[in-house]
Formats: sequence, C-alpha cells, structure tokens
Amino acid sequence: MGRYIARRMIYLVVVLIVVSFITFGLMHAVPGGPFDREKALPPEIMANLESRYHLDDPLWKQYLQYLYDVFVPRITAEAPKGTLQDDYLITARVGNMWIKWMNFGPSYSSRSRTVNDIFRQQLPISAQLGTMALLVALIIGMPLGIIAALKQNTIFDYISMSVAIFGVSVPVIVLGPILIWIFGVTLKWLPPTGWGAKPPYILGFLPAHIGWDYFKFAIMPSVALGLGSSAVIARLTRASLLQTIREDYIRTARAKGLQEQLVITRHALKNSLIPVVTIVGPMFAALVTGTFVTELVFGIPGMGKYFVTSITNRDYPVIMGTILLYAVFLVIANLFVDIIYAYLDPRIRYD
Amino acid sequence: MRSKLFILFALLVSVSMVLAACQPQPAATPEKIVETVVVAGTPEVVVITPTPEPKPAGPKVLHLNMGPGDIPTIDPALSTDTSSVQIVDETTVGLTRQNEETTLIEPGMATSWDVVNNDDGTQTVTFHLRDDVYWVKYDGTQVSQVMDCQETPQPRKVTAQDFAYGILRTLSPKTASDYAYVLTFAIKGAADYNSGKSEDPATVGVKAIDDKTLEVTFVDQVVYNLNIIGMWVAHAQPKWLIEGDDCTEARGDRWTETGFFQGYGPFTLKEWVHDSYITLVKNPFWPGSDSVPQPKIDEVTWTMLDEAPAFADYEAGNLDSAAVPLADIDRVKADPTLSAQLKIAPDLCTYYYGFNTKAPVVDDVRVRRALSMAVDRQSLIDNVTKGNQEPAQWFARPGLAGAPTIDKYPDLGVKFDPEKAKAELQSYLDEKGLTADKLDITLMFNTSSGHQKIAEAIQQMWKDTLGVNVKLVNQEWKVYLKTIRGKDTPQIWRLGWCQDYPDANNFDREVVVPGGSANPDPEGKVGGFAWKNDKYDELVAQAAKETDPVKRTDLYAQAEQILVYEDAVMIPIYWYTRVTVTKPYVQRTFSVLGGLEHIEKWDITQQ
Repeated sequence: MGRYIARRMIYLVVVLIVVSFITFGLMHAVPGGPFDREKALPPEIMANLESRYHLDDPLWKQYLQYLYDVFVPRITAEAPKGTLQDDYLITARVGNMWIKWMNFGPSYSSRSRTVNDIFRQQLPISAQLGTMALLVALIIGMPLGIIAALKQNTIFDYISMSVAIFGVSVPVIVLGPILIWIFGVTLKWLPPTGWGAKPPYILGFLPAHIGWDYFKFAIMPSVALGLGSSAVIARLTRASLLQTIREDYIRTARAKGLQEQLVITRHALKNSLIPVVTIVGPMFAALVTGTFVTELVFGIPGMGKYFVTSITNRDYPVIMGTILLYAVFLVIANLFVDIIYAYLDPRIRYD
Repeated sequence: MRSKLFILFALLVSVSMVLAACQPQPAATPEKIVETVVVAGTPEVVVITPTPEPKPAGPKVLHLNMGPGDIPTIDPALSTDTSSVQIVDETTVGLTRQNEETTLIEPGMATSWDVVNNDDGTQTVTFHLRDDVYWVKYDGTQVSQVMDCQETPQPRKVTAQDFAYGILRTLSPKTASDYAYVLTFAIKGAADYNSGKSEDPATVGVKAIDDKTLEVTFVDQVVYNLNIIGMWVAHAQPKWLIEGDDCTEARGDRWTETGFFQGYGPFTLKEWVHDSYITLVKNPFWPGSDSVPQPKIDEVTWTMLDEAPAFADYEAGNLDSAAVPLADIDRVKADPTLSAQLKIAPDLCTYYYGFNTKAPVVDDVRVRRALSMAVDRQSLIDNVTKGNQEPAQWFARPGLAGAPTIDKYPDLGVKFDPEKAKAELQSYLDEKGLTADKLDITLMFNTSSGHQKIAEAIQQMWKDTLGVNVKLVNQEWKVYLKTIRGKDTPQIWRLGWCQDYPDANNFDREVVVPGGSANPDPEGKVGGFAWKNDKYDELVAQAAKETDPVKRTDLYAQAEQILVYEDAVMIPIYWYTRVTVTKPYVQRTFSVLGGLEHIEKWDITQQ
C-alpha cells in the first residue's frame, strides 16, 4: 500500500505540471490582460505594470519561472522576510538554513496580497464550510437513500425521493435568500451573513473558538450547500442498495438464516457504498475548495469567488493557484477513494 | 399512485416557496398617539411620527457595506477604485480636499497656497502645511503616535517631505501605480520620471522647501491642478515604514496590513480581515478643521457583502446603511418605514453608447443623431433601470465643476425626439436609396444582465421609432475591452465613465479628445470614437484654462453640443444615482463623489 501511495504522489506532480501547462496556455490565449480596464491606461503606465510583474518576458520564460517558484524548494541562509516577493507557503528552519517552498506569486488585483495569503486566509473558511456541508449531505443523504431502498415503492420511498428531488432542483441561489429571509431577517435567530472565525487558524485551518458564536454563522450555509449534495447521495445510495440486495450473496446470507439487520448492515450496505464513495471524493474536493454562489449569498469570505473573479480579472497567478489547488484536492480525494475501495471490497488490491 | 404523490408533493413545495417568497404586508405607519386633546367637545387625536429611536449610549460604532470582494489595496499610491480610495481618504488627507457634497476644493493638510503663473506656461503652487498633525497607528488597544528614532523619541509630524516622498513613490516606475498617470499629466517632469526616461527624482517638479512648505510645479496653468494635487495618489506616505530606517522594519508593499499600518487622517486602521471586513478607529490626534472636522463616530466597520445579502443585513438591523438592490426598489418605495429611510442621490457617472464614426452606416452623422434622438431615456429609466437615474442630455454629468446643468441649459444636447429622429434618418435613406430595414448595425456590450436589458430596450425603441433592426452582440468583459480598442471596433459600443476628480475636464477632455481613453486614435485604427473635431478640442482646451466659472460652463456647453448633437459621436443615456437606505439614528452627508463618504462628518444619535 505504501508503495502504491508513493507512486500516486509522483503521478500527482505529473498531473500538476500538465494542468499548469494547459491552464497557463489557455489563460494567455484568451484575449484581454490583467490591466485592461474600462479606463484605458496610458502605454507608459502599462509598461511599468508589465515590467513589475515580468509580463514583458517571453511566455516560455514566465512559465518556467512559475514552475521553478512553485515546485523547486529554495535552501538559503536568509530568513523569510514575508515581503510580497518572498512569500512561501512552506518554510522550515533546519540548523541555520531555511527551506522555503511554493511561492505562488502576487495577486494582481489585491496589490498588498499574494496567492499564498489567499490560501492561508480564505481556504480555511471554505474548508470548514465544505466539510460541514459534506457532513450535512451524508447525514441527510445516506439515511434517506437507505430508507428509500429498503422500503421501496412505499410512502417512505416517495417522501425520501421527493426530498432528494427538492434538494437537487432548488439551487442555493434560491434556497439561500429564503433561509436568510426566514431565519435571519424575520425571526432573527441566525445572522444573515458572515462567518464566525477569522485568522489565525489552529493547524492552519481549524477555527480558534468553537461554540454557538461559530456555529450560528455556519448553520444556514452548510444546510443550503449540503442539501443539494445530499440529494445526489440519497439517490445514488438508493439505486446502489437496490441493486445490491438483489445479488446472490444477499440471498445466500438470508438463506442461511442471518438476521435481516445484519444482512443489510454487514453485507448489503458495505457493498453498496462503492459508487457513493466514488462520488463523495470529487464532491469533497469541490466543496472544500470553495463554492462561489453559497459564499456570495451568505457573505462568507471563502475561496470560492477567487475561482471566478480571478478569471474575469485575468489575475494570472490567482488563476494558476486556484486551479492547481483544486487539482491537488481532487487527486488526493481520489486517492482516498481508492484506499477506501480496498477496505470496502477486499478483492481490490493495489500492490 | 406514485405519480399522484409526486404531483401532490411538488405542489406543496411550490406553495411553500411562494409563501416564503411573499413579503409581509407593510406594517401601518408607526404612529404614536401622544395625547388626546378634547377641544370644544370634539375629540381630536394628535398624531406624530416618532422621532428616530436613538441608539443606546456607549461607543459610537457605525456598520456599513463596501460591496463584494476584498478591498484591492489601501495604499494611496496603488489605489484605483472607490473602496480603496474610501479608506485612503479617511486614513490620510491630501494637501487639498474636496467637499463631498459641493465638490468644491477646500483646505486639507495645506491651510493655504500661493499660485504663481510662470512665463513658460507652467504654474508653481506653494502649499503651506499644518504643523499639528502626527503620524499614528493602532497598537492593539488604542491609537498612539508614531515615534522617530532619536535617543529621546519624538512623535513624527506629517511634513512636506512626507508629501514629496508620497508623490515620488507613486511616480516611481518600480511602484507601478495605475493612477500615477493623473500626476504624469499634471506635474512637471513627472512623465519622464514615471517612464524611466529620467532616473533623478529632482527632475520632478515637487520640492519640500522646509517641513511645512511644499512647492509643486504644474505643466499647465489650469484650474483643476488643485483638484489633482489633493487626490489619493499625492497623499503623504511613511517612508520609514515602507523602506525601513534605524528603528523601523521595512514592510515594502505590505505596510498597509493590520498591525503595520500608519496614517494621519481623521481615522486610522484598526483591523482589516481580508475579504471579510475592515474597521477604522477614530484618530484622537487629528486636530480637526472646518473642512475635515474631528470625527464624532468612534469606529466604522465596512463589511464586504454583495448587495442582496447586505440589504438583508440592513433589514436584520446589522448594518446602518446599505445600497438598495434593483429587485427591492419597488418594495422599499412602497414600504412606509423603508421609504422614509430611502435617499436617491446623484453619482458623478455617465452611462453611454459610443459610435465608431469610421464604421459603415454610422459614419454618417444623420444616422448617429437619429439613433440618439430615438432613445426614450425616461421610459428606459422608469421601466428598466428603475434607480431614478436622470436622463442624460450630454456627457459631463451635472454636478461636476464646469459641467452645464439642466436648470441653466434645459435644451442643451440631445433629447428623445422621435419625429426629428425619423426625419434625420429619412434624409440619409433618401440620399442612399435605402430602406430602414436594410441597414446593418451592430451594438456591442459586455456580458451582464443589466447591460443586456438596457440594450434590448433600446433595440426595441430603435425598431419602433426608426424601423431599424440593430443586432446585439455581447462579449466577456476583458475580451470586450480588447475589441472596442482594436480595429474590429463595432459600430456602437457601450461604456460608462465615473469621475476621477469632479471636473468636466475629466470627462470632456480626458475621455473624448484624440488620445483620450474612449478615443485613442482619430484614424480609427485602434478603436473608440475614431473622431477629431478641431473646434471641440479648442473649446475644451480653452475651458481648462478659463477661471471665470460662468464662461467656463458656457465653453463646455458649446463643446457638449458638438459632441452629442452636431457630430453626435455618442449617445448619452443616463446619469447615475445612488439608491441607499440609512437608519434614522445616523446623521450623515450624501457624497456625490462616486460613493466616497466623509465619515468624519457623520454622527449617531444616542440616548
């Protein structure tokens, strides 16, 4: 297993280089640059900006420099200064030397910030929201799917699947304002907008204080975001479980007199989880790296909007950073999915 | 059976959503029966509207909203947009400062100035600075003065050298400031220093004579020099903090972060949580003056929310003022409580369509005039944009210094006039032997539902009035900007313009004359209006130098008549307004400077 994971990690680097190449090529192929404004800038000012961000270098040089800054660790005697140019995501002190790794560059539109700042300050919020939304999705989705499958074609099935259809078909942009209006504006139970944690974060992503003051901000967005995903999970669980309980080995288990409860939990459910786990991996990556609409509707200072605004602003380092980040989360989430496969189905072996 | 249940459930869902979406019936006007007076047998009920509920006593904290997304920067040299400039203008003060309601120039850090017109056409202005303003910072618990590096540290005063440093830092090519260009056009030697032609800062016409005297040499003898020198890019900046000195660590471009920041304005930075909120705290060391008084409010927080959630927060009582989203305007106007808190104030911006005057069909002025006169601006505002905007008759929005006003020039420029529009077009069609439906015209705008609605409404007006079928094309914002500044510039394109400084020069000259931002090349090789009119250029150049306000406005009025009617190179559509609601306990001013508020003049009524 260890060797398998190591091999996948090497693939990760290859995937990232390919993704970075495609992204870099695409973003420079699209017309318009980061400094094209409604108020056109005079050529001299434009030249200063391009020279500051090395946009006047040939593209191949810009790309290689980017790869060098992001992938190759620096080992120097110089302590990190924390300036815009010298901002590394990972720094470590070894003896009297410093190891500095992953400089994703400055943001063109937020002029006192770097992409690493966005990772450090906005990603934790999206990760907290995404994790809670995924929990909501699993807590609502799995039981609904299981009930629907076990009580197929009964009133329970219809109600569960109706809830699921409601979740899929009512987007956050509709559900969010309705929740805000009911619980935030009319009843005043929950704050309509905002988030209950701010930097610094414990271990880089956990809120420093957890309590009602934290969760009161998280309830509405987590439910609004989780409901849509729960519907996907519920329908998938139902379909998969229905298929599994018709398998021969379930019939065998029942034939040998096993309790129905054990048949379901130990045999049917475990085997029916494979498609669910498959979808939960990418779902996790998507939720945790930020969700544009949910964050906008609930005024949450997360990563989601950077995926969109960086592209409309042609903020090249932020585009590269957000896309590489998403790629990392996706690859790692899929790796976990593969490892869980091996647990769920002992026939799956990777070595 | 199954399908019936689904239908039942779907009905339930939709009914519950309709119920949830319905707004409650507006409550009756909150009236208080104060006393019942019996006069000569007839009971007479004396009813008064309650005075605003004051806030409970305590620190005066104001909650406002800045709009979605992080503030790009609060560094004076790098700021470009209103949110940045809002913070810069509260944490630092320029040599001159603009009154946010009258747009007049008032003393800022300079108490007085002497203007000398030189023989070579330049102008030297000597500014005399205040001597009682200190650099301050928020140290985690309170605002304290910044000390210098002497053995017995002294508080640092804001000096002429700090202003000279600020201006030179903005101009330095290494800083790469976007808005350096307003200084490069105005200050002698600034353009060469900014483009790297001269590396010696002494060649720039900015000189600190002593701690309290700054001498600035301007390229032209024009009235708006005093506007430009008060702009954020020319504010004092702390050299020791940015570049470091004996007792201060260099912070470079990060000097504006929480914990590092130093300023000297009526407020200073307390906390900036990126993407979330920014809090300014009262600077007790700000001495106050007539134009920039000591703040009465102790703390101001701006959240960074989209309009709709911000308005929800306002209704929930978490914000003290907010913009009204388009979708809520009708409801706010109908609601007795909210409508009393509503204020529609002018905003110094103009929404317009430009013509590529070298493109087929619209290269004829009659077609352009016809299209412009066929736009029913009032109907567009009433039915589409709904924000009580004002129908635009010309480009430089009234309220700008020098700009004509509707009061004095009711018939200037262009108005909705379907009969004249038809006649103009007919004369063109007769000459070319064409019919209106054969004309091939394209209108392009950047992708956005707001622009789409406006374009569709105007397309319909053109069809109804003139019988012209105009094609609509939209492009993503940055692609669009490339297109309208390239050789494929469409016949009609959309843009807006908001003031950098509130003078008609910023509109009529800097946007429109050849080389201006919407008219980069009169030959039409790089887009824009592709237009040149010597008389127009002469009029706006003359107006820039004219010191008599009445004559000046008259020159701009003549220029506007050429721009929007005689040559009709653009269709002015509407002049912007800002629609805001404010809680009754907030006493405030309403800025016309694109939403740039001077919070030091605000107050909160307390018990």
